[in-house]
Amino acid sequence: MDLNTDAIAISDLHKYYGRFHALQGINLTIRKGEKVVVCGPSGSGKSTLIRCINQLEEHDAGDIRVFGTLLDDNVGSIDEIRREVGMVFQHFNLFPHMTVLENCTLAPTLVRKISRAEAEKTAMRFLEKVRIPDQAHKFPGQLSGGQQQRVAIARALCMQPHILLFDEPTSALDPEMIAEVLDVMVSLATEGMTMVCVTHEMGFARKVADRVIFMDKGEIVEEAPPEEFFSAPKNERSKLFLAQVLGH
Amino acid sequence: MTLATDFRPRHSRLYRLRRAYFASPLTGLVTLLSVAILAWLAWIVLDWTVLQATFDADANQAICAERAGACWSVIANRWRIILFGLYPLDEQWRAGVACAVVALVIVLSCLPLMWRFSRLALVWVLGTAVFYTLMRGGIFGLVPVNEQQWGGLPLTLFIFVATGILGMPLAIGLALMRRSELPVIARVSGWIIDTIRSLPLLAILFTCAIVLPFMLPGFLIGEKLYRVIFGAALFFAAYQAEIIRGGFQGIPRGQEEAAKALGLGYWQRMGKVVLPQAFRLALPATINQFVIAFMETSLVVVVGFMELLAASNTAFRTGEWRFAYIEVYVFISAIYFAFVFGLSRYGAWLEARMSAGQRKD
Repeated sequence: MDLNTDAIAISDLHKYYGRFHALQGINLTIRKGEKVVVCGPSGSGKSTLIRCINQLEEHDAGDIRVFGTLLDDNVGSIDEIRREVGMVFQHFNLFPHMTVLENCTLAPTLVRKISRAEAEKTAMRFLEKVRIPDQAHKFPGQLSGGQQQRVAIARALCMQPHILLFDEPTSALDPEMIAEVLDVMVSLATEGMTMVCVTHEMGFARKVADRVIFMDKGEIVEEAPPEEFFSAPKNERSKLFLAQVLGH
Repeated sequence: MTLATDFRPRHSRLYRLRRAYFASPLTGLVTLLSVAILAWLAWIVLDWTVLQATFDADANQAICAERAGACWSVIANRWRIILFGLYPLDEQWRAGVACAVVALVIVLSCLPLMWRFSRLALVWVLGTAVFYTLMRGGIFGLVPVNEQQWGGLPLTLFIFVATGILGMPLAIGLALMRRSELPVIARVSGWIIDTIRSLPLLAILFTCAIVLPFMLPGFLIGEKLYRVIFGAALFFAAYQAEIIRGGFQGIPRGQEEAAKALGLGYWQRMGKVVLPQAFRLALPATINQFVIAFMETSLVVVVGFMELLAASNTAFRTGEWRFAYIEVYVFISAIYFAFVFGLSRYGAWLEARMSAGQRKD
């Protein structure tokens, strides 16, 4: 693992679900500290793409390198990359049988072998960062959706990852809770975290993204800085998508 | 988020009772009739067990016959056989202490405080060692008592606890194998479970007690009691594995994905994320399975063990007490009831404890 190279380098990535060709030769390089927003219609493969990066989905062909480490069948390389790549899910996926604090300290104590006291200190720091330190001893089921998602972000941060992947982090939230989660994501972005976000929040993309990637039918159709992408999309499919997302 | 509001019922308790039980003339009639039947039954039971019963330990059939109620003299005279079977009379204090040890192991295992692998293992190994030393003897100046002479309550409890302690890890292993990503392992586990489940417990016990010695090399045969416990544990494991699998199916896929994304390894994911949630979901069925396992200990009588029920049968098989079988059965029913009812209440308490502070989303 070499922190001086590109954060993520994907070349000619293919993924099949049975006979369905979900990713059809993706090439993508993400620099360290870069914020990339991935958008596209549902079924376009954007979730599959980021889930390949931490191997929640196994790819069928092509190379994925994270900070230079090649993801192959070697279990060690998968473990190594998962330690450095955090993920935030659409449905939060907090562990319901553990308190907020236990959710945050589980992986650091088990995987990083940090002492409980130190893990709790780190956890409280990140819970403060997402502005819910007072909920530390509650169970996830007692929190609102927005609060749960902020805990999920804190939980990912507690592993002190170099890259954060967001898989539609606001899609399962009630409208009034989206802002509190996006605020946290924006503040992370300004602190230099490398972020890959699958999202339809175009306002967020405009504000923080260095690059917007538009996918359709398993391919990257267009990639451009947000101003360019939103004001002058080149591809017909991007135009259609933007009209649908922004057009009401 | 739920807000704690000051909840005050809109209607008085009396009103709610009346609405529930006397809503119409017909429901009122049914209510009165049910109450009358229950009161009548309760009176019969009270009359037989207490009011008209004979409690004199020295009474015999003739004296008991003068009163219409139960003849508890049989328990006073035969309780040792009922509780300890053929265990040598002079050594029965050992069996009594052994019972207390098993009961203690059960109680300790039920305390959430003890739910660490190391603590449970310590309690179980220590408990088994003390139980075995007391029952089997042969050291510390204790007269040796062969397993064939064990009987009554200690035997029932030992078979039950050993079945659970061996069966539960086996069940977890089978359940984990069954959801393995490797088809061979998943299928092998499925075959094992389905095969055992398609055999009656009696057949398994017979096989372990009688057929197995012909098939195994001498050093593997061991004492019949342990072969029978092994059979019972296998049977328990096959059913419990399916119960745990049901628990797995109730866990959203995202739980394991989140654990993977955090870098947790397989055993960490299973131990900290998947199994604790599976057991919560499977708790009612698991308690049920334990209750069944407790009841099924009485089946070992067919391979020649004198557990509680069989010991009780011999207790009234003497000319003197042949008439008093109902009293004996009532007595051991009370023992079974105490254990199973305790287990059920414990299950209900666990469920309440687990759902406290946690809301399903």
